[in-house]
Amino acid sequence: MKAWSAVVFGLSIAALVRAQSPGPGTQSAPDLAGVWSPSRLRGAGAPPPPTQLLLKPGYKERYEARRAQEREANARGEQLAATTSLCEPYGMPGMMQVATYPMEVIQTPRQVTIITEAFSEVRRIYLGKAQLAPEDVDPGYYGRSAGHWEGDTLIVDTIGIKETVRGYQGMPHSAKMRVSERIRRTGPQALQDQITIDDPVVLEKPVVYTLAYKLTPNYEMVEFVCDNNREYIDEKGVVRLKLRDK
Amino acid sequence: MRLRVAHLFVAALVLVSMPAGAHHSFVMFDTTKQVTLTGSVSSFEWTNPHTYIEIDVPEEAGNVKHWSIELGSPSILRNSGWKHDTLKPGDKVTLIINPLKNGNPGGFLTYANLPDGRKLGNGPGREPK
Repeated sequence: MKAWSAVVFGLSIAALVRAQSPGPGTQSAPDLAGVWSPSRLRGAGAPPPPTQLLLKPGYKERYEARRAQEREANARGEQLAATTSLCEPYGMPGMMQVATYPMEVIQTPRQVTIITEAFSEVRRIYLGKAQLAPEDVDPGYYGRSAGHWEGDTLIVDTIGIKETVRGYQGMPHSAKMRVSERIRRTGPQALQDQITIDDPVVLEKPVVYTLAYKLTPNYEMVEFVCDNNREYIDEKGVVRLKLRDK
Repeated sequence: MRLRVAHLFVAALVLVSMPAGAHHSFVMFDTTKQVTLTGSVSSFEWTNPHTYIEIDVPEEAGNVKHWSIELGSPSILRNSGWKHDTLKPGDKVTLIINPLKNGNPGGFLTYANLPDGRKLGNGPGREPK
């Protein structure tokens, strides 16, 4: 009798769990909404380290030469110009974590929208819609993102990121770059985004890294309009600060 | 003391593990040098990508030298206790800064002593002492 009770109880729990498990585009999808801040957890619960960035010949040499120039400039107390020096947005995937700035996730059954605080960047992830053919996506900072739920995980595919958008760790990329994400809650207050960058033109193999976030309840996002940028790029490509005399 | 060392360690970890820095790095500023500026605020600009304090600093020779001091963005500064109206023109303040390496009269704020006696820092790793 006891054994039967246990079996019935177990089945009831299983049915309950199944009833609450998410389906594609349904209201019972996991709730990712909220304001999430970068988390720098170490040890238990921390994301795995990134895989190695392996560039193809030609790209590798140019990338390493540029990194060496950046290091030499830094040693002289100078910073070489980056797109963000002039307040261009980060774009994908750099926008997914900028310094300590949070991001706001807004979720509806058909769309997940991410608004970042740094530079007020916006990306839209369309749920239940197929990805377009690459030639049908206009190149941009955010590309086009199509997503769907797999269990507790939001799977996102992004294509169409402009080649001038600075890549992961400053890597170059081609029009064929594809960014795949697995976004899920890893705890009541924790979220992770595992990002895979594949680019058959530039990369020897895909690079995978995971970003971690913590929930920041009741936080109201601060506006970020870059209307007082005093940095400029001099004739040598070095970032300088404009000073005033009064 | 032990606490302060721990804070520095945490700040170093945060800097090392940031996937993307915001806007620009701070290599143009000399973080090994601290300069104390006491003077009168000519403007306080609560703006992005950075906030600025423009300040007139009287010098021993009797002249006044103008400095442009950079702070973090409003988002970062709010967590350090700043508001859009924390300073107004004419306020007398003392700023502890890291100066520009090229010697020009500019710098990055470490912390500020305000007219009302408060000391406010400039984001993580730049708390008042």
